Amino acid sequence: MSGSGIASSHIEAVIRERLNSTHVQVDDISGGCGQAFEVIVVSPLFTGKNVLMRHRLVNAALKEEISAIHAFTQKDYTPEEWEKKQQQ
Amino acid sequence: MTVVEITSESHFNELTTSLPSARPITISFHTPWAAPCTQMNAVFSYLATQYNNVTFLSVDAEAHPEISEIFDVSAVPFFVLIKNGKVVRELSGADPKELSAAIQELSGQQPVVAPAAGVENDEKEETTAEEDLNGRLAKLVSAAPVMLFMKGTPAAPQCGFSRQLVGILRENQVRFGFFDILKDDTVRQGLKQFSDWPTFPQLYVNGELQGGLDIVKEILAEDPNYFKNLQTV
Repeated sequence: MSGSGIASSHIEAVIRERLNSTHVQVDDISGGCGQAFEVIVVSPLFTGKNVLMRHRLVNAALKEEISAIHAFTQKDYTPEEWEKKQQQ
Repeated sequence: MTVVEITSESHFNELTTSLPSARPITISFHTPWAAPCTQMNAVFSYLATQYNNVTFLSVDAEAHPEISEIFDVSAVPFFVLIKNGKVVRELSGADPKELSAAIQELSGQQPVVAPAAGVENDEKEETTAEEDLNGRLAKLVSAAPVMLFMKGTPAAPQCGFSRQLVGILRENQVRFGFFDILKDDTVRQGLKQFSDWPTFPQLYVNGELQGGLDIVKEILAEDPNYFKNLQTV
């Protein structure tokens, strides 16, 4: 079972470092316990990849972190998709 | 080793607390009047001679309702497999092959076959057990055209994400098979390796992983007819 949890800042840092992300949002939805996270990742690495492949990319980059927490959900966008979304 | 027949709840507590926690335990619940139990009792006894590193306990479910209640036994024959003080698997019904495979997994060792023809090396044994598990998982993910591996059951989900995914499948009128990974730790951990996917719930269509709740929601946001199109396959 997981211990004291992980800091949002750590997750954000890992994502920026390992996924060439241009925008990252990390929300701790476990009430500050560092056990459950909702993340948004925007990165050119997602271009040409379907949803499953994008999730696998993120899972691989965050393998250790994910195995230490209880819940993890993600939304992944390419920079173009994110731009469009902002304009909606 | 032989099967130990439990004579009382205190006998049961005595035995289970005196064992080193690393030693696997398996418990067979039976009743004298149920015919399948007679067959499975024989299988259970035989397995006890094959795996010396597991403690085999036998409980007459009706004579000891308090023990049956601890493990939520509602039908016999019923088998509970315990490792490191945790229930890792429960088996219901009379399936000698399934029980045999489960006990082998629990034991982690090759069955003692007398006389021993030769000594197999450990690596080969592990691979065989792993191959068996992968074979089992491959069958499980294809058990139905749409298979949901979740925490709990559709009638009683044990996790918010699992509950939501069941809701989505029902809204889209998808007929699906399900597997409660809380009831089987071997499948729970095995599936994570098998599909290289760290979380549950997991949805499979025609044996292929689609993803979890967030992916299914995203797919539907782009293509609301995703499940309708599946039905025609």
